[in-house]
Amino acid sequence: MAQLERECEVVVVGAGYSGLAAARELARAGVDVLVLEARHRAGGRSWTDVTEAGFTIDRGGQWIGPGQDHLEALAAEMGVTTFPTYTTGQGVELRDGRRELYVGLIPTSDPEGAAEGVATMLDLDLAAFEVPTDAPWEAPGAAALDAQTLATWLDGHLTSPAARSILEVAVKAIFGTGSGELSLLFALFYLHAGGGLANLARTTGGAQERRFEGGSQQLALGLAAELGERVVLGAPLVSVAHGPGGVTLGARLVDPDAESADPGAPHRTLSVRARRAIFALAPGLCSRIDFTPALPGRRDQLAQRMPMGAVTKVHALYDRPFWRDDGLNGQIVAPGSVMESAFDNSPADASHGAIVGFVAGDDCRRLEAAGPEARRAAILDELGRAFGPAALEPVEFVEQHWMAEPFTRGGPVAVNVPGTLTTLGAALREPVGPLHWAGTETATQWCGYLDGALSAGRRAADEVVRALKGELVGDD
Amino acid sequence: MATTEEMLEAFAEWRARSNDNSRLTKMVKGWDRVIHFTTTDTAQGYTMVVEDQQLSGLAVGHIGQPDVIVTGSSEDFCDMFWGDLNPSEKYMSGEITLQGSQQDVMRIDAISMVAFLDT
Repeated sequence: MAQLERECEVVVVGAGYSGLAAARELARAGVDVLVLEARHRAGGRSWTDVTEAGFTIDRGGQWIGPGQDHLEALAAEMGVTTFPTYTTGQGVELRDGRRELYVGLIPTSDPEGAAEGVATMLDLDLAAFEVPTDAPWEAPGAAALDAQTLATWLDGHLTSPAARSILEVAVKAIFGTGSGELSLLFALFYLHAGGGLANLARTTGGAQERRFEGGSQQLALGLAAELGERVVLGAPLVSVAHGPGGVTLGARLVDPDAESADPGAPHRTLSVRARRAIFALAPGLCSRIDFTPALPGRRDQLAQRMPMGAVTKVHALYDRPFWRDDGLNGQIVAPGSVMESAFDNSPADASHGAIVGFVAGDDCRRLEAAGPEARRAAILDELGRAFGPAALEPVEFVEQHWMAEPFTRGGPVAVNVPGTLTTLGAALREPVGPLHWAGTETATQWCGYLDGALSAGRRAADEVVRALKGELVGDD
Repeated sequence: MATTEEMLEAFAEWRARSNDNSRLTKMVKGWDRVIHFTTTDTAQGYTMVVEDQQLSGLAVGHIGQPDVIVTGSSEDFCDMFWGDLNPSEKYMSGEITLQGSQQDVMRIDAISMVAFLDT
């Protein structure tokens, strides 16, 4: 077993958007930086792939919306163009064996219920805007908000079962968890950080407004290419020794051709010595790394209380977007179905048809055991009910099950369970000696989104640059 | 293309329904605002004021400093005021646009949707 050794000023763990943004800021500031990435690809939760049948799909984060200025600027810089999500025509609501068409943000088959849903979304969003995104624990009544779930709040504000189920669909699509698993305070913070629930649920004018020509991972690949040999792929981190003198990170080096990353198989190791480290990972992933000394209790307990959401992203791919012929925009809202939300995900030139859907929250966990064939059958049945028999025979059906990704463990984001933010939230970004924290979960704007990943990476890089300067002053 | 008279007539109907709707009056509680409407086809301005949980009548011309500017065709505004048009559809297609602070835009978006659905 060979051991390789490297030295640098700052090591960044994770070559997702956040880690790469941090590394680029550091490199631009003249800092000698190295990025360790467990996978054999950069991009993290953004992953553009070509399917067996030759379709290009985004298996992870894919949208960009108004107000995502960091992402917008990076795309412009990389020369990656965007195009609008297809929204022309009507959406399909599937509920209790019925099929109804609707236009706009919310299904309108039950107008009074829909009105209650819209009014409640406004109430929720107005409450969200009272929560400071940089310190949610300082919100008025924070302890009471953090002591209940979002479900408790929704149940107390809605009388219409239809409205309640529509809002639950939105919550599951946004967080990857049901409202019963979310601290109300955390949900309010998250909604504020993304401009409100209505904004996060929208296509036009909201978080799902546009997509990237050629896929979202290009931006990460562009950043990685710029960093060149400073990015080491296939290097899952195993151990971190840290102290006032700096950090030593131990990683396995995994052969890209290896069938699996079996920890028992012979492998080389990489030891990196640095003055500081940035962890651009979801908090829960840090729990798999052996820290010496152990992380402070507040940080470790916080990580234990920030589970990843559960989501399977499904693509049904067709020769053409045939639903558009019927005046349908490809959107599905289907409370109680396996795939509760879906969108038209065809390319800009409509050279083929694509529906992207989400199996989220407990549905995702429950159906894991059912196996891929059962999931495919259930989802195609649903697509058939929405768009007719042609939907039953896709050219290809692809599911991306994020819980099965060992270096993500779920998606789209890590959430806070009740009682966490007010007691441990401040530990989320607080450095531990030479260890700093990035990742979209640490963002104060667009938390959970690609844009938040970028801003969080830059914030951590700034923090480190200032710390390094301080050390130099101290050295003098 | 709708005439000024048609706009005023349609708005009066919308206003009466809205001011009678308890869900809507609750949604504008504490939200006193000046809203300008601008028609793209007839190049006409209108002003509506929300005060003490009530919508004012529609005045012709842009009066005062607006908190929100709503832009669209006179035809769409009339259809929306009569309750024949889901405003959400026009926001999504970009045929009606809202300008103002994020929270004001969010509020008028929700109010107009509830007015369509619930009155």
